[in-house]
Amino acid sequence: MCKALAAEPWPENAALYQQLKDEQILLSDNASSLAVQAFLQMCNLPVRVVCRANAEYMSPSGKVPFIHVGNQVVSELGPIVQFVKAKGHSLSDGLDEVQKAEMKAYMELVNNMLLTAELYLQWCDDVTVEEITHLRYGSPYPWPLNRILSYQKQWEIRRKMKAIGWAGKSLEQVLEDVDQCCQALSQRLGTQPYFFNKQCKGLTFQYRRLVPKIRPTELDALVFGHLFTILTTQLTSDELSEKVKNYSNLIAFCRRIEQQYFEGHDKDSSSSATSRSAKRSLLR
Amino acid sequence: RPRGPPFLAEATATLPRLQAYAKFSGAPLTVNAINNCWRAPKGEVPILISEDTVISQPAKILNFLRKQKYNADYELSAKQGADTLAYIALLEEKLLPALLHTFWVEAENYCSVTKPWFASRIPFPLSLYLPGKMSREALNRILLTRAGPPLYSLTEVEAQIYRDAKECLNLLSKRLGTSQFFFGNRPSTLDAFVFGFLAPLYKVCFPRVQLQEHLKQLPNLCRFCDDILSCYFRLAVSDGRQPS
Repeated sequence: MCKALAAEPWPENAALYQQLKDEQILLSDNASSLAVQAFLQMCNLPVRVVCRANAEYMSPSGKVPFIHVGNQVVSELGPIVQFVKAKGHSLSDGLDEVQKAEMKAYMELVNNMLLTAELYLQWCDDVTVEEITHLRYGSPYPWPLNRILSYQKQWEIRRKMKAIGWAGKSLEQVLEDVDQCCQALSQRLGTQPYFFNKQCKGLTFQYRRLVPKIRPTELDALVFGHLFTILTTQLTSDELSEKVKNYSNLIAFCRRIEQQYFEGHDKDSSSSATSRSAKRSLLR
Repeated sequence: RPRGPPFLAEATATLPRLQAYAKFSGAPLTVNAINNCWRAPKGEVPILISEDTVISQPAKILNFLRKQKYNADYELSAKQGADTLAYIALLEEKLLPALLHTFWVEAENYCSVTKPWFASRIPFPLSLYLPGKMSREALNRILLTRAGPPLYSLTEVEAQIYRDAKECLNLLSKRLGTSQFFFGNRPSTLDAFVFGFLAPLYKVCFPRVQLQEHLKQLPNLCRFCDDILSCYFRLAVSDGRQPS
């Protein structure tokens, strides 16, 4: 990244693009988008969420979400974290080398298990595909384009699943993998507020006195994005969300981040992370 | 169920990993070379045969060994168990594609080392067909999981996967530091997995060696492999073949 890029401050009109929230977006894309939104909130960088039916096609990597900042377009959490770091904002600077390695490993775990399980559920589980995915994915487009796009995407995802060995798995095995992943996350989190509890500059008022601030990292944003979405998305059955609900510290973690970074930040109707149709709020 | 890419990916790293795990946990394990892959129950190797039970797939084999009380992770805390899972995910995402490429896709390596070695261990006429199939599956897996915009050509994909693999090796080296094993003084599942990935890379003599050279610049990882080889396998590898 050149120095000129780093010198530009974060503009007021930065935008995050995703698919249409109520009719079109699927579980995995929703999770990815929420993770990026959480990360930017944690960095205190304002961004407005823009919903477009063709967000996937506008993205430089074909994946959502992507952000449009100044005249740069960056997609996916990894590159966005790098981009934000080049601008001088980082959540993981205070970590030592071993902690950074651990953080990267846990982020791969979430991508490897949770994201793949979400993709499996929405593209390889026949019931979910028929009742939810096919109806949502191409919904902004007229027939027969909606069906063609949906089948094309399904074929592409199924090829990938076959290549990594997930095509032969049953739904029960996939749910077991989700459980194993949640168990690992729960054990790593323990009773701490975030995954890494490095104290950073600044004080915050807690328990009637000033205490050092503890900040979350991009790992917290990623885990929140996926777990919150799983917990609050209505699917054909509750099996997936039940796996996460087994771990009370993970639910508390999601609630904490929701309260701290998303409550009271809903300025316009398109940026609320917690109001979605047919979805339940955690706080109820 | 037909043999597919999981078999391929596993074949490169699994046997050393399972043998290492067995040695760490004290399980008495005899390695028998199967000449005919078709004889394995679902065509998958390696398989574990214990009394009357037959198990395939490495994850299930590890679980079986654990249930039989051959548990190399007995002294690990819950957090360390979670760390194990995370690091294994890191290895599979960041290191495995480059490993597959080095063994099965890089033309000089494949033609001069991998194919003759592999073909010599399976019977004719499988030896004419199987190595080529595995090579194609490796390339397929790499392209399906890593190619895509903004990486458009194979060269760009290759550059990216080797960058990721080198970064992964650096992370492993930082995590290991000066310890003997990843969690203290006793080896565990994670050590077995890391050994399974690193040992073939470290010991096999390839013509094209960029990843191997990077590994050799990380002395603690080389020491880690050498320690396990000398303590648990008591072998000096001399002819560039995989330790068996």
